[in-house]
Amino acid sequence: MINQDELPDQLEQQLGRLLHYGTLAAAAVVAAGLAIAFASDALGLPIATAGIALFILLPVLRVAAMLIFFLRARDYRYGAIAALVLFIILISFFIGAR
Amino acid sequence: MQFGPELWLFAAALGTSLLGGVLGMASGIFIVPLLTMFGRVDIHTAIGASLISVIACSCGSAAPFLKQRLTNIRLAILLETATTSGALCGVFLAGLIPTEYLFFLFALILLLSAQQMLTRRKESAPAQDSYAARRVPLGMILMYGAGLISALLGIGSGVLKIPAMDTALRLPIKVSSATSNFMIGVTAAASAAAYFARGEIATSVAAPIALGSVVGAVLGARVLMGVPAPRLRVMFIGILLLLAAQMLLAAFGINLIGRGS
Repeated sequence: MINQDELPDQLEQQLGRLLHYGTLAAAAVVAAGLAIAFASDALGLPIATAGIALFILLPVLRVAAMLIFFLRARDYRYGAIAALVLFIILISFFIGAR
Repeated sequence: MQFGPELWLFAAALGTSLLGGVLGMASGIFIVPLLTMFGRVDIHTAIGASLISVIACSCGSAAPFLKQRLTNIRLAILLETATTSGALCGVFLAGLIPTEYLFFLFALILLLSAQQMLTRRKESAPAQDSYAARRVPLGMILMYGAGLISALLGIGSGVLKIPAMDTALRLPIKVSSATSNFMIGVTAAASAAAYFARGEIATSVAAPIALGSVVGAVLGARVLMGVPAPRLRVMFIGILLLLAAQMLLAAFGINLIGRGS
């Protein structure tokens, strides 16, 4: 059941790309924010904060991508598991935002 | 704004991430002690910044494992229900547990890491190509604990995830390393989301730390592939023990470096 079975290579390649380029993008935003802050502009830190938000969002996007994949493959059991993980993360965010 | 501290933070994160990469262990465990001891940063701020670095390292290093098909993504998403639940519980507890207890718990985890570096991991699964995860319920319980500790201390909890996968689930070492690394990002994101929403993640600390971790991880993968690890391993064990001692002292309200004055 939980063997690395018939999952097509494609999903792994896509998740790998998402995480790789996502990390680079978030790091670039953080770097830009810090550079602007270094030039003593008030805009810098908010940009860096947006980069941090991107970092937090990245694993969440990864779970969302898996959810979409499982649903498309009609694998509803794992689709439900992915949805549950997303739901727990959302609860955590809203508990913090309260 | 003053930029001295930010450069320091960047360099410290870069260094630990670089060294961690050589030994194949997460550097997240060093960030909180470094920040609280030398950076004079409040432990909750340090935990928030460390979580961002943990996410960055997990996401930044996932692609090669995925390409080699070492990451078991089905098992990962299943266990992530347990790690994120643990993280959610940790978010609740984080505000209630006194700071001294956090230092004490951190010291224990550091000692556990040192012990794990000392003993070689034994292969418990027979073959690399065909394996089946066993004792999944036990694995889930251990993963819940790993998520809880991750949220409380701002670490990836690889130190708890890997034994759970090696001994409870009996996966091949490479598979459990890759899968554990894959899960760490989501686990940390679950608690970081709450801390971020609460406004507890200080950008001036977290941004240079995250950036340093990514740069260190990238450099570590490119430059240091061939560096012999045994000596570094001994050095790392020494550092872990020192940090554990210092965290223990901090738990009892004694801080030899930094604060005090």
